[in-house]
Amino acid sequence: MDREGERERYSRQILIPDWNQEKLRRATALIVGLGGLGSASALYLAAAGIGRLRLCDCGRVERSDLNRQVLYEESSIGSLKVEEAGQRLAALNPLVKLEKLNVFLDSHTVGELIKGCQVIVDGLDNLESRFILNQESLKKRIPYIYGAVHGWLGYAGFFHPPLTSCLACLMRPNLSQPEPVPVFGAVPGIIGLVQATEAIKWIQGITPSLLGRLLIYDGRHLTFDLVNVDKNPACPLCPKYKG
Amino acid sequence: MIIYLKAGGELRAKLQPDVDYCTRRVEAEAGLSLRDILAGIGINPAFVAFALKDGDVKRLDYVPSEGDVITLQPPVSGG
Repeated sequence: MDREGERERYSRQILIPDWNQEKLRRATALIVGLGGLGSASALYLAAAGIGRLRLCDCGRVERSDLNRQVLYEESSIGSLKVEEAGQRLAALNPLVKLEKLNVFLDSHTVGELIKGCQVIVDGLDNLESRFILNQESLKKRIPYIYGAVHGWLGYAGFFHPPLTSCLACLMRPNLSQPEPVPVFGAVPGIIGLVQATEAIKWIQGITPSLLGRLLIYDGRHLTFDLVNVDKNPACPLCPKYKG
Repeated sequence: MIIYLKAGGELRAKLQPDVDYCTRRVEAEAGLSLRDILAGIGINPAFVAFALKDGDVKRLDYVPSEGDVITLQPPVSGG
């Protein structure tokens, strides 16, 4: 695609006052987990023209994913999610450079995964991995855009200590987690798009609205609540990384 | 001391609301933490990720006051 084609592709968003497509083009975002949340955020980050998307997931597509994981279709079943996601995103926007990592996130792999990215988008499906990601984001001082869903309920937050609290200020790791998690597909869609929006704002130098706050979305009653998440002085993590 | 507990999501069923669809009136001893109050009404703290009061997050060591309205939020772990 030539320069003219690129300008045309982004012409509607370039009209937005203070929009900086060049900043977006130079940015790298990591999406860890290509499920319902990761599908939504990846599609919109790619469509907006982020320069580089690092995609991380070690799973394969299952039929039960298809109510919410909109990167995939019936023919994707059994394939690696990173490969299927890569094909879909490349078709959507060939200008985006894609790094496809079929890697399991744990305390050994997380450091390499997040190195060099400007923002981390959480598409994970369990609390343990989220706490690993939260801790590494603290160490590397890379903003962590939290998202999680259950049933009709979704949470999203933007954690970037010492500017804000961290995930461990908000909740403890030893909480009840049902398996499998019930999910109505539109809920990770909504939360994933909020995460993508906050990522794009951060990259563009616009203060994210979720900085130090949590969005609680209840699809059953159509409520969106924004609550403050203050730093917890007793947090076991973020006080270690302040300053 | 009387406080009002609300619950979000699937935690509502565990709370057994008696005021409206999501609110339960609870009589508790003053000075007890939210964790102790929850234990007293049979709610396992592992089912509560955090609580909300007047738009701020409160943790389970929060000590409620008379008339407080506190919303309990469940853990949400899916993606």
